[in-house]
Amino acid sequence: MIPELLSALPLTLAITFVAIVAGFGLALITTTFRVRRVPVISQLADLYVSYARSVPVVLQLFVSFYGLPLLVILIGGDDFLTATIAAMVGLSFYHGGYLSEVMRPAYLAVDRGQHDAADSLGYTFRQKITRIVGPQAVHIALPGYGNSIIYLIHNVALVMYIGAADVMATAHLIMERDYNQYQFPTYLVLAVIYSILCLIAWLIIRAFEVRSPMYATKEAPVRAALMPSV
Amino acid sequence: MLDIHDLKLSYGNSKILNGVNLSVKRGDVVSIIGPSGTGKTTLLKCINYLAKPASGTITFDGIRMDYQRADKAAIQAIRLRTAMVFQQFNVFKNMTVIQNVMDPLVVVQRKSKEEAREIAARELERVGLSTKQDHYPSQLSGGQLQRTGIARALAVRPDVMLFDEPTSSLDPELVGEVLKVIKDVTSSGITSLLVTHEMQFAKNISNRIVFMDRGVVAADGSPSEIFDAPSNPRLAQFLSSEHTLQ
Repeated sequence: MIPELLSALPLTLAITFVAIVAGFGLALITTTFRVRRVPVISQLADLYVSYARSVPVVLQLFVSFYGLPLLVILIGGDDFLTATIAAMVGLSFYHGGYLSEVMRPAYLAVDRGQHDAADSLGYTFRQKITRIVGPQAVHIALPGYGNSIIYLIHNVALVMYIGAADVMATAHLIMERDYNQYQFPTYLVLAVIYSILCLIAWLIIRAFEVRSPMYATKEAPVRAALMPSV
Repeated sequence: MLDIHDLKLSYGNSKILNGVNLSVKRGDVVSIIGPSGTGKTTLLKCINYLAKPASGTITFDGIRMDYQRADKAAIQAIRLRTAMVFQQFNVFKNMTVIQNVMDPLVVVQRKSKEEAREIAARELERVGLSTKQDHYPSQLSGGQLQRTGIARALAVRPDVMLFDEPTSSLDPELVGEVLKVIKDVTSSGITSLLVTHEMQFAKNISNRIVFMDRGVVAADGSPSEIFDAPSNPRLAQFLSSEHTLQ
């Protein structure tokens, strides 16, 4: 049972990975438009975030699974969409919208004075974001980002509803094949697999959390003393 | 060198600046005093466009800008020739002291890291922070933070220094160390505008005092004209209340 379940793990990981990368890109673009307030585009970005946060994830997956082929046909393409691609697209949009609501408050939480100082010294918007506001916002956003990754991993389990063969779907196939005799042990193994995935994600984020805020913690004196002068 | 004409700014229904006119000559050290909420800080922020006035013009040497048609090039040109010291210090929290001073030189002025480090080290020595250059802002006192802010401002070699209540957020014990640095800076001949509530200090270091009240310049003169023989009744009232407090 376990090897069979693990054989479906690469697909779960692939969907998660694509959603993390594409979702991050979407969140970055969406957040930029939400904080810079460009007419029409910013309102559309708000609408998208509202959709991603308020519509149940399983419903977003159905929208993606049934809606994307219609969209592809509408623009004259061939229907190449599989359940896996629909799952990747659906979860990327969900994660991007959710993550934007982590990034935006983090950006807004950076003290207004940091913007003023950078502006008064002649930094461009891009320089200000990459050198001053961005690094501080990342530090603020990290715990929320960790949570959003964990929610994403949980929600990948829902892709079985649109027929993607991830670990959850594979577990159901195994249980049905065995006439539902081993439901509890199968679910237990699943629980362990998801726990390990979330633990790994948490450890990675935690490593970044420890690294990034050295300027804001009491450990700073030791670290500064150990660092070579700039 | 700096001319501000008919500057107006409102936040919602409250008018902050009601047509400010101010002219500053090269080498002037102008202290701006007045009751809270009369637009002193806002005026300073308008100069480098951190606050956006509804109307008015600014002429800075050859650069002239109408605030109703503010263009990016003029804003940037003025920002590159002024440097601001903030009430809340606004030292970059993600950088060490020396990185704070170096970064604008490397990023905005495109100087080499070596040159920037040399300038930064010199300015930090001037403000007495050589031993703290690898510390992060979270490890410094208010006075040290403000001196970092002053070193950062000096390092960009501005034509005009804008001090926005530089000691108002400080513990009384730390005010002295910052005032000493400001006195050193202003006595070096750099044109300075200083918003302050430190009346005695303003009197000592300035060659001109501007009294702002209800969003306009209500009195403008030498320290002795303003402090010893105030002609404006509001100014006299303000100074007497300050005096009573002290």
